[in-house]
Amino acid sequence: MDAYTFLLQGLATASEPAMLLYALIGVTLGTAVGVLPGIGPALTVALLLPVTYRLDPAGSLIMFAGIYYGGMYGGSTTSILLNTPGESASIITALEGNKMARKGRGGPALATAAIGSFIAGLIATLLLAFLAPSIVKIALVFGPREYFALMVLAFVTVSAAFGDSALRGLTSLFLGLALACIGIDQLTGQARLSFGVPDLLDGIEVTTMAVAMFAVGEALFIAGQRVRQDDEVTAVKGSVWMSLQDWRRSWKPWLRGTAIGFPIGAMPAGGAEIGTFLSYAAEKKLTKHPEEFGNGAIEGVAGPEAANNASAAGTLVPLLTLGLPTSATAAIMLAGFQQFGLQPGPLLFATNPTLVWGLIASLLIANAMLLVLNLPLIGLWVKLLTIPRHWLYAGILLFATLGTIGANPSSFELGMLLAFGVLGYVMRLFGYPIAPIVVGLILGPMAEQQLRRALSISQGDWTTLLQSPIAAVLLGLAALAFIVPLILRARGKGEVLSQMAADED
Amino acid sequence: MRNFVLAGLFAGAMALPAAADYTIIAPANPGGGWDQTARTMQTVMQEEGISRSAQVQNVPGAGGTIGLAQFASQNRGNPDALIVGGYVMVGAILTNNSPVSLADVTPIARLTGEYEAIVVPAASPIESIDGLIEQLKADPGSVSWAGGSAGGTDHIAVGLIAKAAGVDPTTINYIAYSGGGEALAAILGNQVTAGISSLGEFEAQIQAGTLRLLATSAPEPIEGVDATTLKEAGLDVVLENWRMVAAAPDLTDEQKAKISADIEAMVTSENWQKQLADKGWADTYLAGAEFDAQLESDIAATEAVLRDIGLVK
Amino acid sequence: MKRGRDTAALFIAAGLAVVGAVVLWDSARLADLGGYSGLGPASVPRVVGFGLLGLALWTVIAALRGEFPERPAQNPAPVLWIVAGLAAQLMLLHAAGFSIATGILFAFTARGFGKRNMALSLSVGIALSFAVWCVFSQLLMLHLPAGPIEQLIFRRG
Repeated sequence: MDAYTFLLQGLATASEPAMLLYALIGVTLGTAVGVLPGIGPALTVALLLPVTYRLDPAGSLIMFAGIYYGGMYGGSTTSILLNTPGESASIITALEGNKMARKGRGGPALATAAIGSFIAGLIATLLLAFLAPSIVKIALVFGPREYFALMVLAFVTVSAAFGDSALRGLTSLFLGLALACIGIDQLTGQARLSFGVPDLLDGIEVTTMAVAMFAVGEALFIAGQRVRQDDEVTAVKGSVWMSLQDWRRSWKPWLRGTAIGFPIGAMPAGGAEIGTFLSYAAEKKLTKHPEEFGNGAIEGVAGPEAANNASAAGTLVPLLTLGLPTSATAAIMLAGFQQFGLQPGPLLFATNPTLVWGLIASLLIANAMLLVLNLPLIGLWVKLLTIPRHWLYAGILLFATLGTIGANPSSFELGMLLAFGVLGYVMRLFGYPIAPIVVGLILGPMAEQQLRRALSISQGDWTTLLQSPIAAVLLGLAALAFIVPLILRARGKGEVLSQMAADED
Repeated sequence: MRNFVLAGLFAGAMALPAAADYTIIAPANPGGGWDQTARTMQTVMQEEGISRSAQVQNVPGAGGTIGLAQFASQNRGNPDALIVGGYVMVGAILTNNSPVSLADVTPIARLTGEYEAIVVPAASPIESIDGLIEQLKADPGSVSWAGGSAGGTDHIAVGLIAKAAGVDPTTINYIAYSGGGEALAAILGNQVTAGISSLGEFEAQIQAGTLRLLATSAPEPIEGVDATTLKEAGLDVVLENWRMVAAAPDLTDEQKAKISADIEAMVTSENWQKQLADKGWADTYLAGAEFDAQLESDIAATEAVLRDIGLVK
Repeated sequence: MKRGRDTAALFIAAGLAVVGAVVLWDSARLADLGGYSGLGPASVPRVVGFGLLGLALWTVIAALRGEFPERPAQNPAPVLWIVAGLAAQLMLLHAAGFSIATGILFAFTARGFGKRNMALSLSVGIALSFAVWCVFSQLLMLHLPAGPIEQLIFRRG
């Protein structure tokens, strides 16, 4: 039998009514747990995996796929509506998505996220099904020096999210980099900046920091406002659905996000958040409505959300073809696969075709089920914003702390949540952008480790970074992205160029 | 809404009864070996009726020492609390100067274990462990080893190999990765000279012929594995990356006996054996005084090699 | 938007300088284990530390020139209510259990947003937190601290 026969067979099994019910239950459970701030897809799948154990393999597989997609999508919902990203990959979604929600465009924001996730998931799963073995060969070419170059490019391009002041953007970034140094140095086992406190040895948890900065900091800032500003939340203005213009502005970002997210997810050390950063930067560059970025541009939701989902499917490439779990979520999925007697690895497609194609069919069905479940619910989700503010924010803090306590029930972690919440408040007060500090915390350690690994392998020879063609091209792109705006600004006389320069900050 | 109620009922029907007997601490993030061990224990204990309901709690960080410290301080005399741990913890306690050690909890039994495997990419010119050792002796810096975190089992194994080969362990060029997965990618991508990790991590690749297995750290050749042991190659290195379960400090003898009996019942169940087989883990169950003696000798040997590598002063 | 000297911004600069100095001080303590790469665990913190010192200087210049944007007027009381709520939850969590501690956070936050009826918001908060505790701790087996309320209803053993 060839691949198509297996896939069709899998799809036929997965479309039986009982299977559809399991998919629905999986998606619902996944969404319900995934919406909690601070509980990302990894913990969602870990918590719910035992629920799938009692079913037969086919049912268990499809419920598992549903939980996975539900958990992924749940995080975006809270990012958009409540500005509380559940995991690092939906931080970028919060930037534009929440601005849209505040202007009464929460419906279109959720819709473009859901449809974008669906389309990205669909394309990426098909790519996974038919191209996985060849993609993984390309991904393996990436070694430490190539990853380091990719991180540098991400750093430079993501500075598009740094706001209008170079000083405050850089300060925020460097604070993030300083926080990133805390904990045991991975390459030598030395404890840095932990002052003998055991809880600091493992560094600052990115989700704790993101929830504190976004949810707690935001709540404090809004509570303290003496005059209610014009960013007052409007629940619904205009249609809950996407207008024709929304569609027109969304479809290209969906496809671009997929194109960026999938290969980065397929790289063993790519990381889902990098794809979202690059997609956001790309959309900001290409948009016809630059003035809307920072104020709720739909492209800034559509692209990163698609990139996030595509990269999630991308992580399945190394997982299935090499048995390489490249993210926490993938590691849990590996445990789940083993439950079904599926041993991922280079021989998987040959030795166990029924299960693999069953899984791929399940992913396709679960992805569609997510759309079926969530599109009608958008009207309901948006109603969340009509809850009176005192109950709404009390509820946000309840769930934000629940996520932190559930992930790690220590007073220390809650203390960090409080401390970073206050820091986030002070930063908002003085006009410091929030995104760079989180970006620094995420990218800092990755870039540092890859650079040190690259230099270890070359025994201290820095030219190794330019000897790899891929690394050299990526570094060249980064240099261009950094220098061109500087030149434009230096020459900038007149409205147009200074507008462009301001845009680059 | 109806869907949610339905799902709630569904999940509820499977998860009840509610009260938890054992709380198992997995001192790592979800997905890792300790987490999987804890969750497998949870499943087997519940299905075999050893525990009506068991909870798993993740307390990640610093090679398990954060979870260990929290476990030891919060559960003094609590007969319902268990923690999963392993050989990595032994090294982490030493490198992190952890105030809490395995002496502060009540080790119950070793559950599973894996041996280390030394591999090279299929395209590598190195054909045997002797060839690798020769290059290591000639120029230690030119042999880059990819493996798990600094001071972990893989790093310790490389230190032991260097020492046994008469090479100064401080000169090894060890590249630490956060998990077996990332290290494996680096090896497959020909980024490093050699790789070292648990045999299970490499097995599928070895079968597919993309990696060449040079040697294992087992005491005797492993059945079905076509490779020499380090010992046979003239390097006196035997290392097992084991996982264990421990109970809270300050338990009475009866409480300890009850837990030991429960764990033994779990290990001897068919269900546990099936789970081990599914996951490719070897059953290396060892309990009582024999386990205590094994633990002691492992701690002493590990401390010595970490000093040699320069990670412990 | 040029204004006079900005004292608050000078405090920020001082804070940045302190953070930078701490990072540098800590990196000086680390053993040099660079090995073959030439970059040890202290190298990156050193760059970050000097970067922060530089940014502190830049902040001083900007503050003296009055280049910081106007800050929105803030009421301290609501902010303090919420901070107090988070602190209360933190301290009571293990003693009083999830429901009571989180109920207090809920009520204090509602107070910070202008809801004065504490009796109402406290009971809503505890009831809601308890419902959340039941779902997550009992159905999904998430480990959440139990206190008197939880133990009253789901007795152990």
